[in-house]
Amino acid sequence: MVIKNPVEKAGEHTLGVLYSNGKVRRRREWRGIRDTLYDYTRWLYLVSILARFVVKPRNVKGMFRYRWMSNYLAVMHGMDKFTIGLRDEPLRITHTAMNFVIADVTKAIDDCFRGDRRLGNDRAFSDRCVLTDENAMTAFMMGFPNVKAILREVPTMFAANIFNQNSTTHYLDVAQEFGIPGDVCPMPEAEAGISIDDDFCVLGRCAVQVNTTCDGSLMGNGLIAKRLEREYGIPTFQLVAPMRHREEDVQEYAAEDIRKAIAFVEEHTGQKWDWTAYFESAKRVNDATRKRIEQLEINSTDYPQFFGSVFSLYNDTNYMGNCGRNADFVKIDKKLLALAEKGVKNKRMAAKEYRHRCIVWGVQPQYCIDMLYWMLQCWGVVPLTDMLSMVNTRMIAEEDTPENREQAYYDMAWLNENMIMRNRTHGGYKVLVDELWEFCEKMHADMVMMWEHMSCKALTGMHGQFEEQARAKGIHLVWVSHDLCDPRVFSRQAIRDQFSSYMRTVMREEPLDPSIEVLPDNDAW
Amino acid sequence: MSKTLLRFFLKLFAALFGLFAVTFVIYFFNLDMKATSLIEPIFLKHYEKIPRKQYV
Repeated sequence: MVIKNPVEKAGEHTLGVLYSNGKVRRRREWRGIRDTLYDYTRWLYLVSILARFVVKPRNVKGMFRYRWMSNYLAVMHGMDKFTIGLRDEPLRITHTAMNFVIADVTKAIDDCFRGDRRLGNDRAFSDRCVLTDENAMTAFMMGFPNVKAILREVPTMFAANIFNQNSTTHYLDVAQEFGIPGDVCPMPEAEAGISIDDDFCVLGRCAVQVNTTCDGSLMGNGLIAKRLEREYGIPTFQLVAPMRHREEDVQEYAAEDIRKAIAFVEEHTGQKWDWTAYFESAKRVNDATRKRIEQLEINSTDYPQFFGSVFSLYNDTNYMGNCGRNADFVKIDKKLLALAEKGVKNKRMAAKEYRHRCIVWGVQPQYCIDMLYWMLQCWGVVPLTDMLSMVNTRMIAEEDTPENREQAYYDMAWLNENMIMRNRTHGGYKVLVDELWEFCEKMHADMVMMWEHMSCKALTGMHGQFEEQARAKGIHLVWVSHDLCDPRVFSRQAIRDQFSSYMRTVMREEPLDPSIEVLPDNDAW
Repeated sequence: MSKTLLRFFLKLFAALFGLFAVTFVIYFFNLDMKATSLIEPIFLKHYEKIPRKQYV
């Protein structure tokens, strides 16, 4: 059912005029006086964050030492990608969430440079840090309030790629020069390339890696751990979550591994596990879970509010990177929910027409391109939610009792097993295929956009089953191939063309805004 | 006294308005990103010169 926006959108309607052939856009979007001024004040806020970062001499030094830092020249450009066409509450929600993520990443870089042996070399600080795998649930750090989990791959690789699509290409080339094949996932391959290129900050008392989601990340972790241990003397623990995470008989093993990870951190940092801090964090984890479920319920209505790449990005940061440890997320969650409730009450829409309700599934590259917002503005397809946001919905024990202390290990293991990606790409047929149709039903989706990551083997075996079942259920299944963070394999336009081709040939539809069907952003950041 | 105060507020208003005008022009015409996109190649050239201990 097509839903038309009862209110005419203020400001610009033809978004194609903003794009140029260069790295950046011609100008920013005119959103009407109120929303343009709002967007401007958020821009000023981001300028203030960056200014506070730049005034520290060690951070300037870091800018000159680390290649990946140059990607942060494009922070504002990255923000503009995610706000294209947005007005009213959806604009405010996107800014609130994304600005918080940017502030969090800025803090992470500042921490990395503070402890880095090449820059700040603050030894006392470094001794309180544990290098934690980017793709790890930080659950095993919930009871260490005085130890810092440093997710150094986040600013180095992941967040850098949000702002600049070419951020990883140099590191991929380095990895491949050293004989690593080019057909593994470019994300762990780029991380391995950063390690080979000696471009990671070096800090921390010890490190914890996880068997994240694929063969590629196992390969990358091996190389990174070797350098950490043999060159820098940083002992590294391997936290190995079972792949069949829904099976009861693996939970005891998973809980035992969490116990060992905690003991490893205690041994190397000299800090003791604090149950009070753990249960405080557990309360915040539950609060975040409840708020995420409420946001999804709002997105199940005719007027979804918080969606797109930023929904996914915020969930990743809050669920996995934070995992209840930072109380600031509670305030932001509350603010985001209040905005979404106001938006749904006022029937706010982010485009002039909603034609299809879509669930985004598969291994997704939507951080480095503005695909989800483009789908909305160009074709009126609303991305209700995505695979990485459909994580744990179970409440964990939050009262400090002797029984719950034992249960806590199982809860942390459960969270670790259900980190983003792993909870869907591993764990069997049910979590990847069956539950997708359940979500389609709950969220009244008539379309699934299937990201097909050509270097990822995790979903390949299920291709035929997705096709067969989508046909049987009458759901439009749009396959869109990409190569995650390597834009040389699939350019942005090549990605968009696949979607447009489906919309024209199968759906027989014309774009809402034809000016953005083809964009000259191949060389853009 | 009131004239001095009035002049002070007028000056303050003019300064704030000037600041707003300048920053808004930078914001709207994306001059911040246009400037940083010119800086990027200089940094990339610089990174090539840093000696690195590369190995697997």
